[in-house]
Amino acid sequence: MDLGEFQIPGNSDPNQKTSHLSLDIGGSLIKLVYFSTNDGDDDDDDELGRSGKESVGVSNGNRSFPVLKGRLHFSKFETRKINDCLDFIQTQRLHIGGCQRLGALPIEKTIIKATGGGAYKYADLFKEKLGICLDKEDEMDCLVAGANFLLKAVHQEAFTYLDGKKEFVQIDHNDLYPYLLVNIGSGVSMIKVEGDGKFERVSGTNVGGGTFWGLGRLLTKCKSFDELLELSHQGNNRVIDMLVGDIYGGTDYSKVGLSSTTIASSFGKAISDKKELQDYQPEDIARSLLRMISNNIGQIAYLNALRFGLKRIFFGGFFIRGHAYTMDTIAVAVDFWSKGEAKAMFLRHEGFLGALGAFMSYEKHGLDDSMIHHLTQKFPMSSLVGDKICSPLNGELNDNESIECSVYAS
Amino acid sequence: MANLTEDPVLEINGIKVKEEDTNLAIDNKVVVREEGQGERDMSPPGGNSIHRSGSRPQLDLSKAAIEGNFEEKDPIILLPNQSDDISHLAVDLGGSLIKLVYFSRHEDRSSNDKRKKTLKERLGISNGSRRSYPILGGRLHFVKFETNKINECLDFISSKQLHCGGMDSRWHSELPADNNAVIKATGGGAYKFADLFKERLGVSLDKEDEMDCLVAGANFLLKAIRHEAFTHMEGHKEFVQIDHNDLFPYLLVNIGSGVSMIKVDGDGKFQRVSGTNVGGGTYWGLGRLLTKCKSFDELLELSQRGDNRTIDMLVGDIYGGMDYSKIGLSASTIASSFGKAISENKELEDYRPEDISLSLLRMISYNIGQISYLNALRFGLKRIFFGGFFIRGHAYTMDTISFAVQFWSKGEAQAMFLRHEGFLGALGAFMSYEKHGLDDLMVHQLVERFPMGAPYTGGKIHGPPLGDLNEKISWMEKFVRKGTEITAPVPMAPNGTTGLGGFEVPSSKGETLRSDASALNIGVLHLVPTLEVFPLLADPKTYEPNTIDLADPSELEYWFTVLSEHLPDLVDKAVASEGRTEDAKRRGDAFARAFSAHLARLMEEPAAYGKLGLANLLELREECLREFHFVDAYRSIKQRLTMEGQCGHEARLLTLIEGVLAANIFDWGSRACVDLYHKGTIIEIYRMSRNKMQRPWRVDNFDVFKERMFGSGDRKPPPHRRALLFVDNSGADIVLGMLPLARELLRRGTEVVLVANSLPALNDVTAMELPDIVAEAAKHCDILRRAAEAGGLLVDAMINTLDGSKENSSSVPLMVVENGCGSPCIDLRQVSSELAAAAKDADLIILEGMGRSLHTNYNARFKCDALKLAMVKNQRLAEKLIKGNIYDCVCRYEPAS
Repeated sequence: MDLGEFQIPGNSDPNQKTSHLSLDIGGSLIKLVYFSTNDGDDDDDDELGRSGKESVGVSNGNRSFPVLKGRLHFSKFETRKINDCLDFIQTQRLHIGGCQRLGALPIEKTIIKATGGGAYKYADLFKEKLGICLDKEDEMDCLVAGANFLLKAVHQEAFTYLDGKKEFVQIDHNDLYPYLLVNIGSGVSMIKVEGDGKFERVSGTNVGGGTFWGLGRLLTKCKSFDELLELSHQGNNRVIDMLVGDIYGGTDYSKVGLSSTTIASSFGKAISDKKELQDYQPEDIARSLLRMISNNIGQIAYLNALRFGLKRIFFGGFFIRGHAYTMDTIAVAVDFWSKGEAKAMFLRHEGFLGALGAFMSYEKHGLDDSMIHHLTQKFPMSSLVGDKICSPLNGELNDNESIECSVYAS
Repeated sequence: MANLTEDPVLEINGIKVKEEDTNLAIDNKVVVREEGQGERDMSPPGGNSIHRSGSRPQLDLSKAAIEGNFEEKDPIILLPNQSDDISHLAVDLGGSLIKLVYFSRHEDRSSNDKRKKTLKERLGISNGSRRSYPILGGRLHFVKFETNKINECLDFISSKQLHCGGMDSRWHSELPADNNAVIKATGGGAYKFADLFKERLGVSLDKEDEMDCLVAGANFLLKAIRHEAFTHMEGHKEFVQIDHNDLFPYLLVNIGSGVSMIKVDGDGKFQRVSGTNVGGGTYWGLGRLLTKCKSFDELLELSQRGDNRTIDMLVGDIYGGMDYSKIGLSASTIASSFGKAISENKELEDYRPEDISLSLLRMISYNIGQISYLNALRFGLKRIFFGGFFIRGHAYTMDTISFAVQFWSKGEAQAMFLRHEGFLGALGAFMSYEKHGLDDLMVHQLVERFPMGAPYTGGKIHGPPLGDLNEKISWMEKFVRKGTEITAPVPMAPNGTTGLGGFEVPSSKGETLRSDASALNIGVLHLVPTLEVFPLLADPKTYEPNTIDLADPSELEYWFTVLSEHLPDLVDKAVASEGRTEDAKRRGDAFARAFSAHLARLMEEPAAYGKLGLANLLELREECLREFHFVDAYRSIKQRLTMEGQCGHEARLLTLIEGVLAANIFDWGSRACVDLYHKGTIIEIYRMSRNKMQRPWRVDNFDVFKERMFGSGDRKPPPHRRALLFVDNSGADIVLGMLPLARELLRRGTEVVLVANSLPALNDVTAMELPDIVAEAAKHCDILRRAAEAGGLLVDAMINTLDGSKENSSSVPLMVVENGCGSPCIDLRQVSSELAAAAKDADLIILEGMGRSLHTNYNARFKCDALKLAMVKNQRLAEKLIKGNIYDCVCRYEPAS
């Protein structure tokens, strides 16, 4: 059963019609979600799709609009290379679909749903270059809508990660709420979600992905976020971090539950005046930085979960990138501070929550929540993003490529 | 071994070496290694000479030996049997810094003189009877070193012999006096460096648990030090009065290399609930890698000039300059620290180190504030105290932490900071010594003083300690010559220039006076176990001595200007008081520099030394004078005044009160008075002053007082049992004013206790001088003589007076007690035990003079009748306080409340 496919956008089927595009323009990355219908294309006509269609027909007989069959594509660009993104949209004619119906002629005023700060900042640019208006959707609304959609509609979306082991979590839809959604983009937002459209941004931190990449760039000569992550994989943070054992002459401070390997002070060893920046391995620096930030996010997230009595914390956002060590650190932090009470969970579509949510905000696309709910119960959808988790740096995530995965909605 | 004739270097903790020591060192061309002696308090004032043999430290010269080559010019003499004043040392050996707290003992003031003995018998005080072991008076010193320069620390300990005192027999009688010295230590380094201490100093470190120490230290500070805790929001510092009964629970956040968060429920009752690895070590570590700073302080100073917007990604950057107001984020909120550094166009060297430092500082401070708040919330704690050396009194750091707490708690929780922030652990370790009695110390027994170097260095140690006064003066001169020009008065800095204003960058503080921006702002804690709360205060809890609140910037500026302008005159008086010798001139200059520096420092940051009232300011000046060995700057004037005065004639109450008010014009701390004095003689001024005594006075409760004294109609109220007369200026003020009033009271059968300063301040009369003045007056007046004899004041003088005057010895006594302070003002929360004892039977208090009845205590309420008498010799104060003019009089009488 072919539940997913990977396509290089340039090679995509020219007949493919894009009916919806939405954007999440963040501080560092632009995320695109677009939907394509494949009219007369039998590629998707597999068993699941067929049975889905049939079942939809049965259960939704009284619906006034049909559920479209097609694919959701996920794609990203760096915000500072926004022109690449505009070119991509133009060459793919993604904006033509807009809120028009299939086959309609493009009119002057095309409207695209967009979220993230860039929806404001780059509104003029989109108008000028593509002649489209960005219809701004609230960022938190989108994150929550996206997460709710994924958690309900996509099979095996959430997983835990501990001690190098990834384990998918089956979410009971009736017992999904409340949960804490932690979206780690350039900055970090923490949102208490109590239902569809029912949520509150309860916290956040300015120490996030942007900090990792920004500080990392200054401290190492890495050219990309992914390169920095790759480096961190090979590093040893003990060279730079001050551990409890360093202060206590190798012994634990067991009275308060600190082992000698606990980090007492991130970068605390760098205070030595014997070594300068160039004397440290970039790998070690990257590792130390990653641990500092992941650990901090994990801790603040846990404290907020505790505050509201939330047992489940879902981490999303592009900082994670399925990077094992990052997830491990966050999970360990949550586990450590909660004494095993709370669980950190990760989302496979981590980076696309906002874009997906913006996409959900189109009316009449047939993917509204009740429909999703309905569909997912009967026809579990699935997406496949490749085994990103174990091999996060296989090139799929490089800047100007996009991951495409398809969601079979019918 | 520190040779004291090395280049002058700073030791800030107020080492006071007696002049005799200096002479010893100079005359003999040797250096005596006994700095501990210098730690002693100033010699008790009194007499006409400061070269009193009684104050000379007794050196134990047995087994003295010259160390090293005898041919050397300045060999060091070892005095192995010289007992050291240092009794206790405790260390906190952290990952980045070593903190020392050490205690130096006061030499016991002589309490053997006959006057005191008589007085004590009369007042029913017996020495040390109230405790099973006496608390020792002394000083707590606070010093820090960088851990990677631990050898400097060891040298310091060794040179001051701090490690030897722990064996003090008074506290460790059970220990044999062998070489196995033990000092209390905490922090990870207590384990790591144990061998080093053993090897270098031969001392064993007795390891105390770090959290125990932090909590013990914090509890001690919060209970024992008034105005220890303060809030710091948008550049505004405000001291918080902690109610001891409502202290617990609280969250203690100690920010060292890492951060510990401790829930404190009581003494020794606590739990480490959280922490973070993003702390001071992270700031300094990352900061070192990103900038080329050589020290933490340098990095911190850089941040003062930084603009984090070049590096941090703000909400406005993401939203194109707009707010994300829906969730309460303004455009200037930082969305992502260092988020702008992802730009490909710039490399590390393209960013300003200032901006990097600020961005880093903000990131870490804010993060700590946030995690602290979340933990406070979790346990329902409303108060969060932040300590640890990361903060260093740095305005931006505190503002950021406060902002985070305020922002996330929506104002529910409050971030507070501790003035002794970095010394919690070391203090706690110190507290763990048994039997030092410090646990029992009360707020009123601690006096904090800021020695000479404080404005410049804020507690940093630069090299070995200053040896003697001479070196101190040289240091002062040298420092000033270095180009840190001090002008007084200093221009007023606009209030709140370091304000955070949301997440805005603090505006530059411009030219800062200090050599580094992270001064400690803590002085030496003087432990004076004999101080007590004045028992007649109606409500000690709400009592506030200061009438003028210097938190008002215009008040502050005015008084700074007044003090600055008066300074040359004061220096002149001080130098004259010692015969205008070259030495006196040099000391006078050094005093002027040191005090100007204090003023400039306080002008820049009024709360630098804790909550600032006019009383504190005046006391600081006196302390500064004493530091440069001006024992009594007004001595020559006092002598003149006393000689010219004479015992007043019989007079009724009004005349007497008039006399007090008129005589109060003789105030050499007042510029107006100094000007007057150039125009006429004492008696002329006095007459002129008296002629102006037209009632009603500006504040005039005289009739109420008179009624209390004489009653109305047939009702004759009984005389007061005992009156406490707080006297002010020496000379005419007392002779023409207060003594006649005392005489009238005595005549009516009221015991009179004259309350005078323990230490000289301005030209205030001191308790040591009063008996002589009384004796002089007694020669001309029987009532005074008999009363003085009854009060034991004339034990020696008696022989010289008329024979056969023993009859009629049934007179009520006239006594003299010291008030425990050395300031023209008086803080009645901290008075001598003598005064406290005398107050027990008193039912009338008379406060005389501006310092004691206007600047302070004007609004104070007492349990007994109180009369406040003063002539206002300052136009501004007159306008402000009594809506009157200069030379207006105050006669404020308040019956017992």
